[in-house]
Amino acid sequence: MSRSAPERVAPPTDRLVDRRLFLERMAALTAAVTTGGALAPPTAEAAVRTTFGGVRGRALLPDSRGVQESEPWRLTVAEAAALIRDGKLSPVELLDAHLARIARLDGLLMAFNTVTEELARDAARRLADAEWSGPLHGIPLAIKDNYYTAGVRTTANSHIYADFVPDFDATAWARLRDAVAVLLGKTQMGPLATSRATTHDGENTTVNAWAPHDPSVSPGGSSSGSATSVAAGLACSSTGTQTGGSITNPSSAQGLTGLKPTMGRVALHGIIPLTYTRDHPGPLARDARDAAIMLQAMAGPDPADPRTLGLPPVPDYLRAAEPVERSGRIQLRWPTTIGVPPGYTEVAETRERGPGGAGARGGRGAAMSEEEREKRRRIFQERARAEAEARKKMLSTFQDLGARVVEIELPEEWEVLTSWNFNNVRLPERSEPFLDVLRRDVRLFGVSLSPWINGLLLPGAEYLRGQRAKLLLLRRVLEGVFSQCDVVAQTSPIPFDMIGLPLMAFPIGFESSRGFVLPMAGLFGGMPYAEDRLISVVAAFQAATDFHRRRPPLSEAAEPGGSEGVGAGEAPGGGEGVGRGEAAGGGEAPGAGEIPGGGEIPGARDRGRMDVWDIMLEGQ
Amino acid sequence: MPERRTRDRNPGQVTQERPTTDLSDEELNAYILTRLRAAGVDLGVLPEDDPDAPADRRRILASARRFLRATPPAIRGFAPDVQEVPPAMYPAAWSPALGREG
Repeated sequence: MSRSAPERVAPPTDRLVDRRLFLERMAALTAAVTTGGALAPPTAEAAVRTTFGGVRGRALLPDSRGVQESEPWRLTVAEAAALIRDGKLSPVELLDAHLARIARLDGLLMAFNTVTEELARDAARRLADAEWSGPLHGIPLAIKDNYYTAGVRTTANSHIYADFVPDFDATAWARLRDAVAVLLGKTQMGPLATSRATTHDGENTTVNAWAPHDPSVSPGGSSSGSATSVAAGLACSSTGTQTGGSITNPSSAQGLTGLKPTMGRVALHGIIPLTYTRDHPGPLARDARDAAIMLQAMAGPDPADPRTLGLPPVPDYLRAAEPVERSGRIQLRWPTTIGVPPGYTEVAETRERGPGGAGARGGRGAAMSEEEREKRRRIFQERARAEAEARKKMLSTFQDLGARVVEIELPEEWEVLTSWNFNNVRLPERSEPFLDVLRRDVRLFGVSLSPWINGLLLPGAEYLRGQRAKLLLLRRVLEGVFSQCDVVAQTSPIPFDMIGLPLMAFPIGFESSRGFVLPMAGLFGGMPYAEDRLISVVAAFQAATDFHRRRPPLSEAAEPGGSEGVGAGEAPGGGEGVGRGEAAGGGEAPGAGEIPGGGEIPGARDRGRMDVWDIMLEGQ
Repeated sequence: MPERRTRDRNPGQVTQERPTTDLSDEELNAYILTRLRAAGVDLGVLPEDDPDAPADRRRILASARRFLRATPPAIRGFAPDVQEVPPAMYPAAWSPALGREG
């Protein structure tokens, strides 16, 4: 805990960025974009090497004498790093603990596509004898299966990439690798980064670590396996990509801290595209400090991705994750005003979507009975009440931490500019990189096909007008929202995903509307490059609460016949606390704020199907 | 930085609250299939109507019609000032921050 006086603390990055000049620069940039000069797609391997952003992290890790966990898989990255640094834990022991966990649980959880056991053992043995080189030294990580990994199959859970073995690493993974993290494996994901993780045919695969025997509880998507692996203790931390909530949704669904950085802060080179102007790589972590460690390694310029060039320097995220203590009380690192949109602490109204819901008109899902509809409505309402209470407590905690909380006015035409139709402007970008595949055989897209087809149908004039709307939305967020506050609470990731601004999800409580404990989350948005501000705010909250420290009760889950073992009362602290953000949502756009599934609780062997209507109604 | 004119405060306007189109299903299907054929994309490899298949033509066309009835009209109905609101593909990627790198 830092005891620095507030005026001596270096300012966050959002104090270095002039919002008006940012917009002026945007206009100039756009001219370059539309004439095709500035943004040629990357074609060569990134010549990027990182030295962990120049931050070694030695001084900012916890004292290993204070680390109490006896089982290595329970450790945060920071805790494991402190033990490794001090010679109390070897990378081999840490890896073995996670491999044992994978062997025991992944048959049930299905978090991984590939476990690179031998490669990981070789790396851990090498690092066990090497000089400690920073907070990721020997830390086993799970990498989403749309990140290129040299020599390791990279499928994006799609038939299109079924046998693809890249010959270079994605820049974001290369930076983690250069910080001597260990590749533990590649994680399951929604096909091509849409929806929750499923097979090509839409069969659900990865389950939520908090409800492993109820596949109707979404793990969140599309970075489903990345979230489940970290939540269940199969990996120390993981990477994801976000186009429409795919980092923050699964983090919210599984009690993790997920950080979607500003567009350009982490390079996209070597990541299978979904929507090139909206794809953001970032970490899913156990807490804000781990997210800071991961982002510190991942962030930085890459000549192969022009969007990463000319940005403000990467700040010291580890320092930002250190709350300060004043007069014996934990306080926010920087004076911060938290903006709250109207209705944020009110109980959300019931919505019905998806197969059998009000909007369903056919497809593979069976029609929903009235009894089932009522059950779903009851669950939604109970969860909504818990979330409203949790948000109030969360805001109260922030006030205790020294934050100023203000209700903000949303910008003019917010509902229109962030609507489903304007969100659909991204679809032609989805179709374009896959034109040849679409021409070859549309069946290769499996259950995800629909948005790729729709992307071919949006005329160019409307596409370009949609791009104008994005700048208008950005202008109104920068001039409107951020003239009232430093960070803003959000209930959906879509608006900030549309305009490339950073988002951070974090656990704020638990509820038991389904009869067992599930996490609830907060979601905060920040100004351009204000990841340090977001990290500082969430880190202070986590210094005052323990929601982020709770783990799913998986001890019985892997035992034969143990399907009854994960239930209400077994998770610590269930029902208490604060809440909100997104419900356990679906994937790239699907599901934010929706109740997933419903229906009878099937056994672990019957995981259910992702109906094509889920894609059509939610995944566009 | 030039002074903003009053009209810049509200450069967009919604001309249709609930965008619709009066094209029939048959007309939209013809448009969709012609556009796809022009792009070299063949939906004919999909089953016509098979609830057990990952995708079939009935569902794909239904989704496309819904998209066409909603999204292009909504976007067309929004009219930003073209002089003041350029089309921005990467809204948050560049910055005039004091410090630079890369």
